[in-house]
Amino acid sequence: MSGYRLGVDIGGTFTDIVLLSADGALYNKKILSTPDDYSRAIEDGVRALLDATGIRAGDIHEVAHGTTVATNAIIERKGVRVALITTEGFRDILEIARFRAPRLYDVSFRKPEALVERRLRFTVPERITAAGEVDLPLDEDAVARVAERCAASDVSAVAVCFINAYVDGQHEEAAAAILRDKLPGIPVTVSSELVPQIQEYERTSTAVVNAYIRPVIERYAERLETRLAEIGITAPVNIMQSNGGVLPAKIAARKPIFVIESGPAAGVVGAQRLGAKLGIDDCIVFDMGGTTAKATIIADGTFAMAPETEVGGDAALGHRMTQGGGYIVQAPTIDIAEVGAGGGSIAWIDSGGGIQVGPRSAGADPGPVCYGQGGQDATVTDANLLLGYLNPSALVGGELSLDRGGAERTIAALGEAIGQTTTDTAYGIHLIANARMMRALSSVSSERGLDPAHFPLMAFGGNGGVHVCNLAEALGATTVLVPPAAGLFSALGLLFADTEHQCIRAYYQPFDALDLDACNATFLALRDEADHLVAADGYAPDARRLACSAELKYVGQNTALALPVPDLPLTSDRLAALAESFAVAHEATFGYRSDQEQVQFVSLKAVGQGLSDTPRLPDRITLSLDALPTASTRSAYYGPDHGWLDTPVLPRTALGGDPQAGPLIVEEYDCTTVVRPGWQASLDSWNNIVVERMHQDSELQK
Amino acid sequence: MIDPIRLELIKNALVMVSDNMMVSVLRTSRSTLIKSNMDFSASILDGDGNMAAQGLALPGHLGATMPALQGCLDYYGDDIGPGDILANNDPYAGGSHLNDIFMFKPVYRDGVRVCFLGLILHHTDLGGRVAGGQAADSDEIFQEGLRIPPSKIYVADEPNETLLRVIEHNTRVPDTVLGDIRAQIAALITGANEIEKLIDTYGAEELTTYMAALIDYTERLVRNSIRELPDGEAEFTEYNDDDGVGGGPVTIHVKLTVKGDEIIADFTGTSPQMGGSLHTNYWFTASLTYAALRTMLPADTPNNVGFYRPITVIAPEGSWVNPRYPAALGGRGQGGYRVRTVVTGALTKLFPEHMPACPGGNEFGLSVTGMTAEHKRFLHVEFHNVTGRGGGPDADGQDAGPYWLGNMANTSVEIIEAENPLMIEEYGFLPDTGGPGKYRGALGMVRQYRLMADDAIVQLRADRHVYPCWGIFGGKPGGLSHSYFVRDGKREEAPSKFVRPMKKGETFRAEMAGSGGYGDPFERDASAVAEDVREEKISIAHAETEYGVVLDPQTLALDEVATAARRAQ
Repeated sequence: MSGYRLGVDIGGTFTDIVLLSADGALYNKKILSTPDDYSRAIEDGVRALLDATGIRAGDIHEVAHGTTVATNAIIERKGVRVALITTEGFRDILEIARFRAPRLYDVSFRKPEALVERRLRFTVPERITAAGEVDLPLDEDAVARVAERCAASDVSAVAVCFINAYVDGQHEEAAAAILRDKLPGIPVTVSSELVPQIQEYERTSTAVVNAYIRPVIERYAERLETRLAEIGITAPVNIMQSNGGVLPAKIAARKPIFVIESGPAAGVVGAQRLGAKLGIDDCIVFDMGGTTAKATIIADGTFAMAPETEVGGDAALGHRMTQGGGYIVQAPTIDIAEVGAGGGSIAWIDSGGGIQVGPRSAGADPGPVCYGQGGQDATVTDANLLLGYLNPSALVGGELSLDRGGAERTIAALGEAIGQTTTDTAYGIHLIANARMMRALSSVSSERGLDPAHFPLMAFGGNGGVHVCNLAEALGATTVLVPPAAGLFSALGLLFADTEHQCIRAYYQPFDALDLDACNATFLALRDEADHLVAADGYAPDARRLACSAELKYVGQNTALALPVPDLPLTSDRLAALAESFAVAHEATFGYRSDQEQVQFVSLKAVGQGLSDTPRLPDRITLSLDALPTASTRSAYYGPDHGWLDTPVLPRTALGGDPQAGPLIVEEYDCTTVVRPGWQASLDSWNNIVVERMHQDSELQK
Repeated sequence: MIDPIRLELIKNALVMVSDNMMVSVLRTSRSTLIKSNMDFSASILDGDGNMAAQGLALPGHLGATMPALQGCLDYYGDDIGPGDILANNDPYAGGSHLNDIFMFKPVYRDGVRVCFLGLILHHTDLGGRVAGGQAADSDEIFQEGLRIPPSKIYVADEPNETLLRVIEHNTRVPDTVLGDIRAQIAALITGANEIEKLIDTYGAEELTTYMAALIDYTERLVRNSIRELPDGEAEFTEYNDDDGVGGGPVTIHVKLTVKGDEIIADFTGTSPQMGGSLHTNYWFTASLTYAALRTMLPADTPNNVGFYRPITVIAPEGSWVNPRYPAALGGRGQGGYRVRTVVTGALTKLFPEHMPACPGGNEFGLSVTGMTAEHKRFLHVEFHNVTGRGGGPDADGQDAGPYWLGNMANTSVEIIEAENPLMIEEYGFLPDTGGPGKYRGALGMVRQYRLMADDAIVQLRADRHVYPCWGIFGGKPGGLSHSYFVRDGKREEAPSKFVRPMKKGETFRAEMAGSGGYGDPFERDASAVAEDVREEKISIAHAETEYGVVLDPQTLALDEVATAARRAQ
């Protein structure tokens, strides 16, 4: 198909916009986000990009969108008034939460306030046991009375979550039917329909968050489609979900809990799809922005998924380390480790005479000292400027000029305090930021028991290319890839994803007591459900792909592993084969298998994908609107072993298939890539910058 | 010459190694105590056993690691080599209580020991007369389970199968415990490989120099922070209701002195050693004192021996907080909370603008064990140490707010029910139990259990049935704890500590204490009191008697005139 696809990724500071043609011509635009109405920046940015390129709005046949709107609505408490209905005896589940704090010894820490006040949390007599038996029938009159109280309380949404509803949702469904009947026009979120997964607090929180933001996201999706239509773009809008698939905006808005990590997911999915295109099945994805750095590992072509995410929590080294600083949402989310280290991270001296970098960030406002917007604290970006990595006269294609003198004065003052030269201090800040980011990179590989040295690094984000080569040296990695439009790669990655519906059912059953017929009935129904959802998006049977999997664990163990279930229905032989592949995977991941222990299901999953009739990735990307700096030379510092070296500065297009030896700096509109001495850079067929270690010497980063 | 930049790089690298050990443990362990409650800590010590870096450190582990390693060094002397892994859980050889097995793996380069990696895990059950090892009424350590003196669980890269089999045969849940032990060993090996890489990068000598520098730097940081605090002295007294075997109450007393760049915590005046297992040994007492004091230090202060050096803990030998052999220690978690709250109390008196009133909760620790209908043993262990936060210094104590000196998650009702023949019938707040104050203490909480199996043995370790969570500066204490069984409609009151049988259909209800209030309740913002009534967190009657706030019983509107009159009385 000719024409263009539009990718739009909203971040906290910038909104990134890309237009991609089928043959890979790429046009991009970065503009400041408009938090009062995020769709405004999108309209303005898209208009500007269309004007600049002369592309007609009517030629855009697909729009993919990554958004932080859901996250912001929760953090800024801009959702609607919700009532919560729970099993009698469990009114306070939501507020009690898990007693976790992200840090000890902090007397001032307060967990986030519950999204539903106690006076709007109602209970009804009912009880289902963990085995799915009715211990106490639902008191339907009590539900009716609660409905009346909801009506009198002026609520805009209702969430229902009963104990053990993950096993059997009949009481929730019966209660929801009464509520819908008595409260016409008020959306009712039912936990067992939304996420039938074990753990009452997490499921309650998930249902409440969904109820709380759904009207907000629905309004936003409508507004966005209206604005695009005003420009003349009538193509359907797809929204990226936290699991890496896209869904039509109208459907996604109904279950907004699944789009919370929309933006970060886009970058990872983009990297994974690009990797697949290039034949790279294993890599570490590294995304460094202004306030945080993120890392994900892709192994055997797949990224790790976390079963839940925490909205508004602190940066965490993977989901197992999240600790109650935010709102828990049980939505499958790409597992991304994050540390508070980015270009804006502030360097400071503590009272013991130690130098620290972050976690406080100067953000975009006032930003680093060199931005000249009133920033007083030395940041990583200031250090990178002094080290010669960044162009003093041009950032974001010359739209931002930098105050080198200010940066130098601030860092010199820090250096004086610790008895170091300005250059050593700047390099020290760069390395300490790297050391912090190493924690994220190292934790994602440790998490899966893998050695990061064997993985190429795929780097993007505004600062990814500046730091990645040095990080690769420290990790012992030998190959780095910086994709085109690295500074707004998440927006590009949006365009590589497929439509994807995930259907999950909790299924907490040990293998030895399994009723195979019941299990198959559940599994097949789940597969049909996924298929119907994809069909409803307009995909013909031959464009629909279904994949089933199950999460398994040893009884008593908390961590589950996802294993593909290639064939349904399950027979006793297939079940035995599944148990064996679980044991093999367990040994590969955890270092042992325990054949004497029982294996059990935790959940069943069916994924339905809609396959596009055109390739999601073009054969190569050509940057068509880059303000190309001309080649020049500047001095840059590479540590005490190399010192200051005259470094050629090139645009990406000046690189070719033949490797050029570092030091080199590749400068672009949206990012800068530093190629250290001992490394070489070339362009591959897709226009990625490939940075490789020139020889395997034993020289190690000092 | 120490380069501060290199120091920071090495500090980060060491923390990364302990992070990765933690990730490895979380990934591979079996028990809920590890997975959900994260009752474990990782650390790196220098070749002489000085703690240089500690990752996630539970408060009780802060000062506990070094003495446990020292116990091993004392026993083995030079007889430690590459590929060994040391294990120790003996409270009388530097350990804490039997459930905590410390393991240490030395790392060598060119024949020189560069460092030890340390990992402490709370293991679910190591035998003894009551499952879980927490029974309050044990008299001697011999009743509490398997005591592992300083031993080698790995010898020159080979597992010590004898020791592993002894452990396996002395626990009620061998799969869980051996699974966790394997996870512990695997994480130490992972950590050792990463330390080897650090030695490759920096060299053994430089790494050693910088570990020492990191300790000195931390000491400097801590001394500077203490120097910034005003000098002062405060005393505080707290109580345990009883010792678990009929003795008590137990008095815990501390005198806290801040002078120059040092702090002295002196527990002289504390009750002598008694019966039962609630005692805290010296290192546990010290750990919790360090933890309580850490709240006054910068958040990013590294955890290493430099942090303890400016702090002196005096705990008289033979006292409740430093008992003599062979006192039982299995329930020391209980005593440990009283050490926390007594030091916090002294801090609150010294620094009223920083510290709140007493956190709520009765250090509820429950174990239930028996056979399922399929004749399989079940063992459920559950802790609800804290119910919320004390009021003040400038806000209410958050209801169900996590505690800054303990970060143990509660356990999911649904997971408990899926894995045990238990039903949780209620889990929620108890209105009117927050200590009244200008800033209200958090509410107490209730947890109610029903047994679904035929028979079980229930063991409880709890407190605050007699001595409540204190209020301060005119604030009142939180509501007391209270618990009872109901069988065939008949109610039977339960003490705070017991072991007893339970029958199918019987219920056990535990009402856990509320937190203390801060400041005069009559100074509390009347509209905040009215909000509490509307949230059904306090009753109208409580609002009037405790806060002098009068509300219209129909509309729940604040009656300002009546309130002013009531408060003027």
